[in-house]
Amino acid sequence: MANIAAQRIKREFKEVIKSEEVAKCAIRVELLNDTFTELKGEIAGPPDTPYEGGTFVLEIKVPETYPFNPPKVRFVTKIWHPNISSVTGAICLDILKDQWAAAMTLRTVLLSLQALLSAAEPDDPQDAVVAKQYKENNEMFQITARHWTNVYAGGPNINKDCDDKIRRLADMGIEEHQARVALSSYDWELERATEQLFS
Amino acid sequence: MGFELNRFQGDVDEELICPICSGVLEDPLQAPTCEHAFCKSCITEWISRQPTCPVDRQNVTSAQLRQVPRILRNLLSRLCIHCDNAPYGCTRVLKLDSLQNHLEECEFNPKRPLPCEQGCGLIIPKDELKDHNCVKELRSLIHTQQQKIDDFHKDLAEQRFVINEQKREMQLLKEFIRAIRISNPSMRAIADAMERDEVLRWSNTLQRARVNRWGGMISTPDEVLQRMIRRTLTEIGCPPHILDDLMENCHERRWPPGLCSLETRQNNRRQYENYVCKRVPGKQAVVVLACDNTHMGEDMMVEPGLVMIFAHGIE
Ligand SMILES: [Zn+2]
Ligand SMILES: [Zn+2]
Ligand SMILES: [Zn+2]
Ligand SMILES: [Zn+2]
Repeated sequence: MANIAAQRIKREFKEVIKSEEVAKCAIRVELLNDTFTELKGEIAGPPDTPYEGGTFVLEIKVPETYPFNPPKVRFVTKIWHPNISSVTGAICLDILKDQWAAAMTLRTVLLSLQALLSAAEPDDPQDAVVAKQYKENNEMFQITARHWTNVYAGGPNINKDCDDKIRRLADMGIEEHQARVALSSYDWELERATEQLFS
Repeated sequence: MGFELNRFQGDVDEELICPICSGVLEDPLQAPTCEHAFCKSCITEWISRQPTCPVDRQNVTSAQLRQVPRILRNLLSRLCIHCDNAPYGCTRVLKLDSLQNHLEECEFNPKRPLPCEQGCGLIIPKDELKDHNCVKELRSLIHTQQQKIDDFHKDLAEQRFVINEQKREMQLLKEFIRAIRISNPSMRAIADAMERDEVLRWSNTLQRARVNRWGGMISTPDEVLQRMIRRTLTEIGCPPHILDDLMENCHERRWPPGLCSLETRQNNRRQYENYVCKRVPGKQAVVVLACDNTHMGEDMMVEPGLVMIFAHGIE
């Protein structure tokens, strides 16, 4: 790995560890190898959002050309968000693409992602299904996102109604995550989800 | 790329850190309006990707980058840094502005060129010395030189071929001209006039010679002496059509009646001073051209002239 990338990551790693956000348990970062090319990030779901109380794990890959190119970041924790793929965890965020600037750091990236959880950009979506729901049935979106946070990110808000519907589909032999995706995509209407699953 | 922070003694001010490489600024430049400073190599690399300030994304082109203020440069030059070769045992700590000078002579530099002490005479980077094998190195040296020699040989053969080709063509051309000259009288007149002019022109390029001791004249020069003079005449541009005749006329057997024997020479000694002689540079010899010596009597001159070689006495 290029010297400059390693030097940067070493320093940024320390910067995150020392930052006040860590003290508030809002962001965290962990090294996965000693060549500084792969890291694990964590961000706390921001308060007053459906993600509140959840912890979201990120995969961070540092390219050889860092910081002249942005790090490659992806959500490992499944999340229901217009700008994040519910399938792959891919993120649609300008600073991770053409708005990257070399002086940005792991800390600014993690804080920007946290801000993205607070303020989605439904007009620049990564996940079309989620974005549609966000715009057309925001109440249902809030329920779904909170439910996913509970199941995948350790959020505190159990939604009995959602869990029941998933169990009904599971009883029919549908795998749990598949059932959740189908229900989430059809505003938790059991009939339409079933129809889609068996078509 | 800047200097690694942990090489410095004491704390380094945040302002002296490059936001791109996060090292201490090396050769810094700053953006014009926001005044953000970066290492020259870092900002050049970034701007080659997009013309913005890496901190605030304002538009910046490389032409707009400028020197950082003197105060910043002074702060940088006063920082104390460990030598690059600290991992190899150098314990020196230097002011940043004297680091470069030290590096050029730091004896801990693993790449410092050292002469091999086993006698092969090669200069080798210090860290390669322990794996150095004189025989192996010299063998590869011989190998590359052999290759070069082979290449030269090929070149030489090629040049020889070209020269022979040209000689043949020249020969043909000469024969052609001779044929024209013989078959066409007006052509002959023109060619003769051209040749005469050429001899005159050449004569004008030569320096007058003074013969101090006519007694030093060698009337029967040997082959070696003749070849040497011939070579010099060619080098100083003697027209080829008179070269053979001139060189034939360096021996008493071809000299005019007034010079051709010891006896006649002794009789005509007084006339020697009247000869117009030209220098043959670096040689004890003179050229006496017929065109320069029309005032001499017929028994003292031959066409196209003669060469006199001396044992000494030419200025
Ligand atoms: Zn700037
Ligand atoms: Zn730099
Ligand atoms: Zn040193
Ligand atoms: Zn040797």
